[in-house]
Amino acid sequence: MLLLDAIFIGLLEASPLVLAAMGFTLIFYQNGFMNIAYAETITFGAYFAILFNVVLGLHFYMAIVPSMLFSGALSVAVYLAVFRPALNRGVGPTEMIILSVGVSFMLRYGLILAVGPENLFLNEPNISYMQFLGMGATNLQLIALVLVFAIAGILYWIIYNTGLGEQMRGLANNHELAMASGINPHRTSVAIWFVAGCAGGLSGVFSGVFAQVTPYMGWNMILITMLVTIVAGIGSVRGALVAAVVAGILTAFITLVSKPLYSEVILLLAFIGVLTFRGSKAA
Amino acid sequence: MDYLIFSFSLMLVYIGLAQLLHIQFGLLGIPNFGVVGFWGIGLYGTGVLFVEFSVPLLPSIILASGMSALLAYVLSVLVLQRSGQAILAATLALAAIVSTLVITEKQLTNGVQGLGTIGFPFGKLDNRNAIFLGILAIVVGSLFWGGARLRDSRLGRSMIAIRDNEELAASLGKDTSATKRMTFAFTCGLMGLLGGLSAPLHQFLVPYLLAPSLTFAVWIALVLGGKAHNFGAMVGVFATFGLFDILVETYAPVPTEYALLVPNFKLFCYGVLLVLIIMFRPTGILGEEGPRVRAKPAPPTLRSAPLEED
Repeated sequence: MLLLDAIFIGLLEASPLVLAAMGFTLIFYQNGFMNIAYAETITFGAYFAILFNVVLGLHFYMAIVPSMLFSGALSVAVYLAVFRPALNRGVGPTEMIILSVGVSFMLRYGLILAVGPENLFLNEPNISYMQFLGMGATNLQLIALVLVFAIAGILYWIIYNTGLGEQMRGLANNHELAMASGINPHRTSVAIWFVAGCAGGLSGVFSGVFAQVTPYMGWNMILITMLVTIVAGIGSVRGALVAAVVAGILTAFITLVSKPLYSEVILLLAFIGVLTFRGSKAA
Repeated sequence: MDYLIFSFSLMLVYIGLAQLLHIQFGLLGIPNFGVVGFWGIGLYGTGVLFVEFSVPLLPSIILASGMSALLAYVLSVLVLQRSGQAILAATLALAAIVSTLVITEKQLTNGVQGLGTIGFPFGKLDNRNAIFLGILAIVVGSLFWGGARLRDSRLGRSMIAIRDNEELAASLGKDTSATKRMTFAFTCGLMGLLGGLSAPLHQFLVPYLLAPSLTFAVWIALVLGGKAHNFGAMVGVFATFGLFDILVETYAPVPTEYALLVPNFKLFCYGVLLVLIIMFRPTGILGEEGPRVRAKPAPPTLRSAPLEED
């Protein structure tokens, strides 16, 4: 019964992480660097939801879609303004990470200067507790869970079954060959950054509605997202999906059997262990 | 005056950390994103030994630095031969583990309530904080002296060779992984030493001190100043911590209603500076310093064929 509880709680907790890990992985796969500024895509998703849901008074479910699209647009704008010029200048992968830390600071503290550091709350739709396979959950959590996995499924389908996904995988595997076959790398990159931004924004909306909206929420998620991405085998969207779900379930399981704070320590140690014993130098 | 001495002492700690990061990343190419973790083991190790076990200050600092070096060595055996991105994530994770354990191990660290007090050495003297500033200046100064010596030494050259092309360096008979492990452990131990020296500065230790912002502040300073230049760390810390935390926060006439915004504005500026420097001057303000090589005139017999100018 403990195991079943852990799986269920883990799935609920992992749902924003699944989206974040997939989006983060997409950018990694496409451009070959870890984009720390992805944290701000998540945060801004939640703040766009505040804009539509609290300021403009839209119903929560109606606010999801525009928040998601705005996050996607923001992600593309950041790519075009900063990351594409930097990639064209031939900045190396570690410097790209530092650059993305800079972008992250700019966006986060720019946001704090603009709207203030206070924690905000979304107007949640009516919440009712439900019984689901003998376990209690709110309708919101269940809807989020279903929606997240539906969107994860759509992303998966885009990457493995559409032309865009094929182009992306081609560019990631052999850039010159893909360009020689007539794939426009810039168009594909813009599309990928848009899709990844949408996923990040949605992740922010859900983690915002489960708790609260703070300027640091994305930043607090990015370490675990990064580790999930690396452990999942860089750039494999399939792997990111599985690793995020496993990480969520593992956290829930450890939390149930030990003190909550230790779950983070054990999870991080497990990640370092996986990094060590994976064997391949290219990790 | 006391406040200014505290600020300068803190600035010296930052300069020292950035200088050690210069050796790790600028010379050897190890992206250590867990600076605050190794510094924090030194800080809290010293605090716990001094307060809970009544060990005198100097042995506490040495033991805590040793712990930091040992942990760095274990981590280096585990992940140092992986790619840069894996090292980055692993060191970041280690720092997160350290800051979480400081909160959970309440019986040792007193958790979020804080651990104290750790007094300055030479407690009987009036200007003991100024003396401590002098001690810090000597430690950090010797780090720069060591950095300059390292640059021209055999070890420094093999470090640069490992950074630029590890396979090539290995093929020339350098034990690259041992060099990386030992240098990483030693420099992380020195980060722990700076942490131990920070304990009397802060006097009262709280887990908040171990937030990752320290790591990023040090990284920003180093990248800004010039990661591969021996004085990049110093210039970078002057341009960030010195400019914002000392000059602006002490002397700028900020109206009180905006005073709370100053730290946020500072971090916003750090972000902008970091983006500009990587886009337009990736080697930092000072650029890269080549090893000082005395040019030897080539033997004249080899000059028969015209050489290409490079």
